[in-house]
Amino acid sequence: MSAMGYLATPSFIFIDEGASVTFSRRDFLKLGSLGAIGALTTSPFSRALAAAKTSDEFFIFIHAAGGWDVTLWADPRNERRGLIEPASTENTDTAGLRHWVDAPLGGGASSFALVHAPGSERVFGPGIGNLLRHHDRFCVINGLSMNTVSHPDGVAFSATGRHLQGSRVSQSSVNTILAHELGVSQILPSVSINFPSAFAGAELDRRAVPLSVGSVGTISRSLARSKLYDDEFDRRKVTALLASESQQLAAQSTYPEVLDGMALQFGGLDRMLNGDMQELFNEGKLKKAHPELNYKTKFHGAGAVSAAFALEAIKRNVLRCFSFALGGFDTHANNYKYQAMVQQDLFDLVAAILEQLDITPHPTKTASKLSEHAHILVISDFCRTPAINIAGGRDHYPNNSALVISPRFRGGLTFGKSDPDQLLPVEAKQFLDGRRAIAPPDLLATFLSAFAVDPRRYLRDGEVVPELLLHS
Amino acid sequence: MCLALVSCAPAQIKPGPATPLQPTGVRPQDRAPKEPARLVPPEAYLRTYLALFGAASPSEAQKLARASDNGQLFDNWNDYLSALGFPDHRNDLPRANQTNALMVASFERLGIALCDRAVERDLRGPTETRQLFKFSADTDNISVFKTHFDILHRAFLGYPLDLAPADRAAKFYALYETIVLHHGEKGLKSRFTPAEAGWANVCYGLSRHPEFHLY
Repeated sequence: MSAMGYLATPSFIFIDEGASVTFSRRDFLKLGSLGAIGALTTSPFSRALAAAKTSDEFFIFIHAAGGWDVTLWADPRNERRGLIEPASTENTDTAGLRHWVDAPLGGGASSFALVHAPGSERVFGPGIGNLLRHHDRFCVINGLSMNTVSHPDGVAFSATGRHLQGSRVSQSSVNTILAHELGVSQILPSVSINFPSAFAGAELDRRAVPLSVGSVGTISRSLARSKLYDDEFDRRKVTALLASESQQLAAQSTYPEVLDGMALQFGGLDRMLNGDMQELFNEGKLKKAHPELNYKTKFHGAGAVSAAFALEAIKRNVLRCFSFALGGFDTHANNYKYQAMVQQDLFDLVAAILEQLDITPHPTKTASKLSEHAHILVISDFCRTPAINIAGGRDHYPNNSALVISPRFRGGLTFGKSDPDQLLPVEAKQFLDGRRAIAPPDLLATFLSAFAVDPRRYLRDGEVVPELLLHS
Repeated sequence: MCLALVSCAPAQIKPGPATPLQPTGVRPQDRAPKEPARLVPPEAYLRTYLALFGAASPSEAQKLARASDNGQLFDNWNDYLSALGFPDHRNDLPRANQTNALMVASFERLGIALCDRAVERDLRGPTETRQLFKFSADTDNISVFKTHFDILHRAFLGYPLDLAPADRAAKFYALYETIVLHHGEKGLKSRFTPAEAGWANVCYGLSRHPEFHLY
């Protein structure tokens, strides 16, 4: 193509330090084809892109591991109808359930009275716990069509929006995508504690690979330092030397970005090891910093430590995405009697997180609260069968619900539904491919789009549901 | 007939002395790197650690690193595998090919443990049996330092010091001197002599060097 041809095509113009740099469409495509746009940090183009990716938003993802019973919170059922055998005093331990009020079921048993959100027509089950206080701030998605009853597949579908291919995850999980888009400049773009995080594809920045650990304590072991042989003075000198070596090698390199990144990480290490950053990874200190969280609950005491870590790391602006899992939901047998209690512990914890975010100032936006820029998504593998099995529990069922607490989503909304007799997802709206139930890819696409991330870049399926968003 | 056959026979080409082929054009060889530096696969740098520090297996390295100090210098490999960039097949996480802050912190933790034990076992042992510190610990000027540093530089980074950026020896010598002075201060508690501490810190620097982990 002639030079004139280039000029005839649309161009992208970035202003950098007083000078305008023009990129032709072809240049743009060439750069894109390198698959490393984010890495080309030295060009004006990439700096412009990098600037666009800074963010003041924080994300918390929670996986209710095992598959929750949606009839106990989001999609409450307290009557026998069709396949549905509701939770009752015959199969549920109601002691300690603050929202459980007996309602006659027949045959001498009692189910629960629906829990009404004050000033609203929304109803919940008794598992909703303290989250009921914030009913006008969260959005519930019911009737999520799962098309699976396998744990690995359900987990992958909920977190990535795609079913497994064989045993492999074929799409990145939502926390990884957001860490890639908005978090690579953070010291910790994404930390994942037993959450089903997935990293797939070559187009994502590798810094977005979640730091997957079993507990916050695992990180602390990487940061522990002995004083038997050397001290902080020695280590800082070595780290400063290595940062300088990295910068020098970067200055001589054709592709300096990796070495530049390493120099930044040496700087980050200094921050992590010195000052009060160590407290972030110390369980005892986290508990002391957040006495309002309940570490002694029967089911999610360890999860409360993860929540404390999330709150502290977000407060200090070192993290973009934090994801963790809370177990105890896979109740096939008589452990089902604790299902409502496990849910109550979960939603109590979510409420406590939200209340802390409400009183914590944003680390970079003065006069803002953290809750104005923090976004919580709670997912599960699938839901549980409407019928009680012979062991007294519930098995896997291809329906699901999800919870979103975000200032970008409409609070006080319940979207989607399941049918009254079989608890299966029913049509929620007219999608581009026809009337159908909402599915995890739709929810994830909507979640990404709320932060100006184009879901088409990362998700094969899914359609943005504007009804869920505050400003669609 | 015979005359006709002779006249049609091909001319004989007789062997002659070999002459160099003449170039038809000169084009400089393009040796510029075509992609950014990559992280050495964790399995490879773990194996390199084992070779450098004289451990036959990861479990032996763990035993050496822990010695009798429990978890002061090192806990166990399971605590570090994900942080060091190893793939996690349970969660389908790939092998890391870029560093991150936690990985850099883990390199430091590991490097310190291995270097401290190497100074204890190697530098304090007889010179002829040493694997890493094949020189005397006492170093009083930069030229002696350079000779010793070159040995470590070749061991860790795989090439002679002469080929490294010109000021590298001076930078590491400054580090060495600073540490020796620091460890000579009264009241500082360390199991190392000042010279040992100096070499241990040089070892930390090389085992965590960008050229050690990138290629």
